[in-house]
Amino acid sequence: MAVWVEVDLCDGCRRCTRECPYDAIEVRDGKARIGDRCTSCGACVDKCHHEAIRSDIQPRVVPDFSEYKGVWVFAEQRAGKLSRVSVELLGKAQELAKQLNEKVSAVLIGYHVTDLANTLIEFGAETVHLVEGPIFKDYRTESYTHVFQELVSAYKPNILIMGATHIGRDLAPRVSRRVGSGLTADCTDLSIDPDEGILLQTRPAFGGNIMATIANRFSRPQMATVRPGVMEVVPAPSTKGTVIPHGSTLTEDKVRTQILEFVKEETPHVDLSKAKIIVAGGRGVNDTAGFELLRELAVALEGELAGTRVAFEAGWIPASSQVGQTGITVRPELYIACGVSGAIQHRAGMSDSRFVAAINKDPYAPIFKVADWGIVGDLFDVVPELTRQLRTACEVMCD
Amino acid sequence: MNIIVLVKQVPNNTEVKLDPKTGNLIREGVDTIVNPDDLQALETAFTLKETHGATITVLSMGPVQAIDALSEAIGMGADKAILLSDRAFAGADTWATSFTLGKAIQRVEKFDLILTGRQAIDGDTAQVGPQIAEYLDLPQVTYVFDIEKLDTGYVQVKRRLEDGYERIQCSLPAVLTIIGGRSKPRYPEISKLLSACTKRAPIEVWNAADIGVTTAEVGMNGSLTQVIKTFAPKFERQSEFLEGSAASVARDLVERFKRNKLI
Amino acid sequence: MIRSNPEELVRKNIARFVDKEIIPVAQELDNKGEFPREIFEKLARMGIFGIRYPRHKGGAGGNTTLFCIICEEISRGLLSVASITAMQCLMGTNFLFHSGTPEMLDQYFLPAMRGEKIGCFCMTEPDAGSDLGAITTRATEVDDGYLINGMKTWVTDGPEASFYTVMCQTDPTKRLRGIGYFFVPRHFSGVSVSSPFKCLGTRTTPICEVAFKDVLIPKEYRLTPEGQGLNSFLKIIAEIRTMTAALAIGLQRAAMADSIKYANERVASGKPIAKFQLIQAKIANMVTNLEASRLMTYRAAAMIDAGQDALKESTMAKYFATEAACSATDECTRIFAGYGYSMEYTAQRYFRDSRFLLNGGGTHEVLQGNIARWVGL
Repeated sequence: MAVWVEVDLCDGCRRCTRECPYDAIEVRDGKARIGDRCTSCGACVDKCHHEAIRSDIQPRVVPDFSEYKGVWVFAEQRAGKLSRVSVELLGKAQELAKQLNEKVSAVLIGYHVTDLANTLIEFGAETVHLVEGPIFKDYRTESYTHVFQELVSAYKPNILIMGATHIGRDLAPRVSRRVGSGLTADCTDLSIDPDEGILLQTRPAFGGNIMATIANRFSRPQMATVRPGVMEVVPAPSTKGTVIPHGSTLTEDKVRTQILEFVKEETPHVDLSKAKIIVAGGRGVNDTAGFELLRELAVALEGELAGTRVAFEAGWIPASSQVGQTGITVRPELYIACGVSGAIQHRAGMSDSRFVAAINKDPYAPIFKVADWGIVGDLFDVVPELTRQLRTACEVMCD
Repeated sequence: MNIIVLVKQVPNNTEVKLDPKTGNLIREGVDTIVNPDDLQALETAFTLKETHGATITVLSMGPVQAIDALSEAIGMGADKAILLSDRAFAGADTWATSFTLGKAIQRVEKFDLILTGRQAIDGDTAQVGPQIAEYLDLPQVTYVFDIEKLDTGYVQVKRRLEDGYERIQCSLPAVLTIIGGRSKPRYPEISKLLSACTKRAPIEVWNAADIGVTTAEVGMNGSLTQVIKTFAPKFERQSEFLEGSAASVARDLVERFKRNKLI
Repeated sequence: MIRSNPEELVRKNIARFVDKEIIPVAQELDNKGEFPREIFEKLARMGIFGIRYPRHKGGAGGNTTLFCIICEEISRGLLSVASITAMQCLMGTNFLFHSGTPEMLDQYFLPAMRGEKIGCFCMTEPDAGSDLGAITTRATEVDDGYLINGMKTWVTDGPEASFYTVMCQTDPTKRLRGIGYFFVPRHFSGVSVSSPFKCLGTRTTPICEVAFKDVLIPKEYRLTPEGQGLNSFLKIIAEIRTMTAALAIGLQRAAMADSIKYANERVASGKPIAKFQLIQAKIANMVTNLEASRLMTYRAAAMIDAGQDALKESTMAKYFATEAACSATDECTRIFAGYGYSMEYTAQRYFRDSRFLLNGGGTHEVLQGNIARWVGL
């Protein structure tokens, strides 16, 4: 199977080079040439206005999936506490289901977790599939996968989304392989293609330097994991929903892992994804003493302290406070970036903030491209002054 | 004890950009490295080799240039390496990749443990490890940062969670995906690097026929997901620059916070 | 059969080491001015010191080209670490390796490969440098060996070394024909080592004087047979000069990379200074000189690997690449302007370090004289 160019017909317009997702076509001497990176995907074939690109690829047949209906969300919980991302996903699921004219369901697995079903209904689940039992007390890959296998084959959902948490990223690929579905990881946007009615999954690649939109045409359910903090929580219009309890025949000997212990780590864990105001520092903050200034500002604003990867690697902030591609995604009302240059990996984690203020010495720092207010100056002058004035402002208002 | 380590050669991700005019990936001058989490997996394997004795086979799928990743692994101390390379493998999503690697693993003689990095920095999917575990019907533990104990038939590991870690016992054979732990990956020895370049080096290259797959099952054709388009992320805003002394810019900023009801 | 290209593979892996382990601490190491023991030990663990020696004798089985690649890459990180590496790989261990008895190899050479012992090379004297015939350190044959007497200076790594390869005169009437190499362990009675010199650049490389007073060494510690000293010298000097040229290439690359980065970042009159033609001219010269240096150096290295006489080629390569390094580092400080004068930035370090290369392997004044002589002047 191959794709080739009828050189006589090619006018070198480069439409194909722009279309190629693999960068496999180049135009030399006014003619398109297909290089080694070609995967015979055929994306270029239809783009050519002169039918100069030919292919002997048989179009892959898209099977009939009309019996697959419903948008499903994995309701992740640990020790009876629902993870926030599950609720965020229900918000997105409502939107997708509306466009497809389908229903939203949540899958809740655990032991003594019935109470959580109501929360799921409040935030958009019309049906909650509840699977309970002592075998499900802790999350374990194989027990949960078994549940999904049974539910998916019985109910045939169209879409199945999970949070891109440490649990979601363990479970989703296992389930996808088990049920025979394609899976897209760590999406930052989901939408329905208006023509084909399929799920378009957008995610960052190459460390956030590139965004890719991915479709899952050849299998169902269409599966994706979604980064926490990206989707908005939307309370459901109606709070009526059905809980469907399911039994399970799974026995302990079928599960090959045992949780010996959970050790909570004593870092004062702040959930930045919920913070309204975040003060973040980067390389320019220099040291822990510098972060002390930022902390004072954060306290004056009743906000939280965060930082870049550099700040984490230098030990100025804990891992849980690292914002960005390899850290967490935040969308506060106000994000104040101090001494943050604004590498694309960092911007990927904070650009959805409602307002962004940036303080940096370098007027060309990329952070200013995503800032509403920019201050070119020394943060060691500006930050203490800002803290002082905010304290005064607060006192005035309190009077 | 036989350990298989799965590695991937990836572009040094900070350097990959889209051409603003054509929207194509700019790969020129981008050097390739062994994926950082996979280096951690290799280091974990070498530590086990030192403490328990093991034969380490490294497996990778990629273009012929990915041979460098395997040579590097041999330089670090791996015993054998296999590169899966065939044009038919190109354009694979994680479904097709896990199938291809899974098929190859079935051709490698018996093994007790499969180690790989949690995720690769070019795709960041973290999917291939668990999908291989499922394909081979093996138990899996992901986000492993420490192996506490390795005994006949089972392994005890620590798995990282957002707010702590779990201690897990898992039966063998198993798939573990590794994240950065206590020890830094070692550097290769020059003499071993040089022997990896010789004909006698224990490196094999397998194609689609060698692992008994058809071109329809692998690569782009065997994939369930497709990239529809790629684009440069855009999140630019119109920045208003505040100027003046520290006191005056601070005043201006506080005023804007108030105006937008942020405080 | 698909295999990695050894030169590219070695370069890539050394480059990764340099980027991760040397560049982040280069400025700090230079400020401290101490011997970089930690990095030295890491280099030893990678087996770098044995790069020139065959595998079955404790080496890594490489050649001069690979040795130069390693020197170049390390020099890109910090020249003084590269000079220490080069000393351990080449001058400090070469004659011991070729002429040492099995006991000497066990006791000194293999530990040196493992980074446990440091070897160095004593040639220059207070009154004799590039004119070797004038050296006065004497090796006098006695019943049970040789007595070494004399004073050596500019001994690179001298303060850290465990053993010295010392160039001595055996018969002053024979001038150049009388020179030879002798192996002197530091702990032998009569060896005294001065404290390190204060130097302009390459501050982590300790340099000192070593004095030998009636040091009695056994017969087998003579490393070159009667009359063979000069030949051995001519053989190693080609490799020393090629290696020095490789060090110069590394330094050029460092200065060039930082210059380009800075020129793109620094804005004057509303645009990055990289857009100004006078800055472009400086960088264009750096790039061109670098390319020429590479061609000359790696050609000399390839000739050495092919067993050919590369004295002329290596001499010209060392001369050209070093001058190019001096020029590139000078231009780098100009591109950095005020910051080039600041001790906080890298430009000043490159500038200072470049002067180290002028002397090792022969001063340029002597080398130019040699080159002129070869065309009959």
